[in-house]
Amino acid sequence: MDEVPEAAAPSGVGAPLFAHASEAELARILDYYGIEWQYEPTAFPILWNLDGDVVESFSPDYYLPEFDLYVELTTLKQSLVRKKNRKLRRLRELYPDIRVKLLYARDFRALMMKYGRLGLLDSLSGTEGQVTVVHDTAAPGDTAAAPGDTAAAPSRAPAGTPRSRMRRRHAAIAGESAGAR
Amino acid sequence: MRQPDLTDDVASVLITEEEIRTRVADLGRRISEDYEGKELTLVSVLKGSLPFMADLMRAITIPVAIDLMEVSSYGTATESSGLVRILKDLSSPIDGRDVLIVEDIIDTGLTLNYLVRYLRGKNPRSLRICTLVDKPARRLVDIPIDYRGFEIPDQFVIGYGLDYGEYYRNLPFIGVLKPEVYASP
Repeated sequence: MDEVPEAAAPSGVGAPLFAHASEAELARILDYYGIEWQYEPTAFPILWNLDGDVVESFSPDYYLPEFDLYVELTTLKQSLVRKKNRKLRRLRELYPDIRVKLLYARDFRALMMKYGRLGLLDSLSGTEGQVTVVHDTAAPGDTAAAPGDTAAAPSRAPAGTPRSRMRRRHAAIAGESAGAR
Repeated sequence: MRQPDLTDDVASVLITEEEIRTRVADLGRRISEDYEGKELTLVSVLKGSLPFMADLMRAITIPVAIDLMEVSSYGTATESSGLVRILKDLSSPIDGRDVLIVEDIIDTGLTLNYLVRYLRGKNPRSLRICTLVDKPARRLVDIPIDYRGFEIPDQFVIGYGLDYGEYYRNLPFIGVLKPEVYASP
């Protein structure tokens, strides 16, 4: 099996502190696919007081230079994202040339499902705080994790493996198999 | 022991067998016209695109070479280095050839973006993309798609090569998986 050099240099080296474990997980995914990213490189002012001082700004989580795209990830419940949506609308009004993609909790869940990591998603719920991304360089099966990094913790568990109901149903057909599309 | 019926896990049929057949034939016609007189290689990305590739190549009426690739996916058991790995590389050179990547589905675009970069490094004369299913709502990185079978809503689909946990690929249609199949126990 050939490892492709193009993807061999994770761009996020420098281990930023992530505000949420889900952000660290997304950084790992981007690293995995060789997508260069920067963490919160720009704070866009979106509100000023009468003196002209910035009173509110918006820093999208990632910037992907190759695509000139900002990505904001929120794992808040849909009912709680009103404030973030307002900030994003304001950002788009003030900076129409800036491309921003907002990933909601449902989008992140779909991503985890695609990669067979719904178990990890469960462990991320409610997890916040300082988290650093850890680039996987460990031996197969090992899971490197920074202290408190629940994003890296549990989950090489059967990737893509159907959950119990399906597992029971298909047990007669074949053994457990990992895999995504 | 009675074998489970895969269709029990399908909430609804999104694209019927007949609709797939018609669309694949249409794509085959267009590709045949566009690549008339060219040295076309179809590169199928395992495993999901197998049924599509098999049908599409038979709908193409010009001479084509075919090749297969497989790359690891994030989160799978094949992942160990933290980087994409080529699990199955091309078996023939593509330099100077017109290459068409044949995909089953494009959602985030991450795998495809990687493949495009990888294949461009092999100096094809041209490199274009054909996908049976496009799910733009999930797109993270934009990649121009030259041939698109169906654009689908943001639902988890299975069948005609598309899997959940390696199953359901053999369904002849594309359907929506019942949420209770992947819901936490």
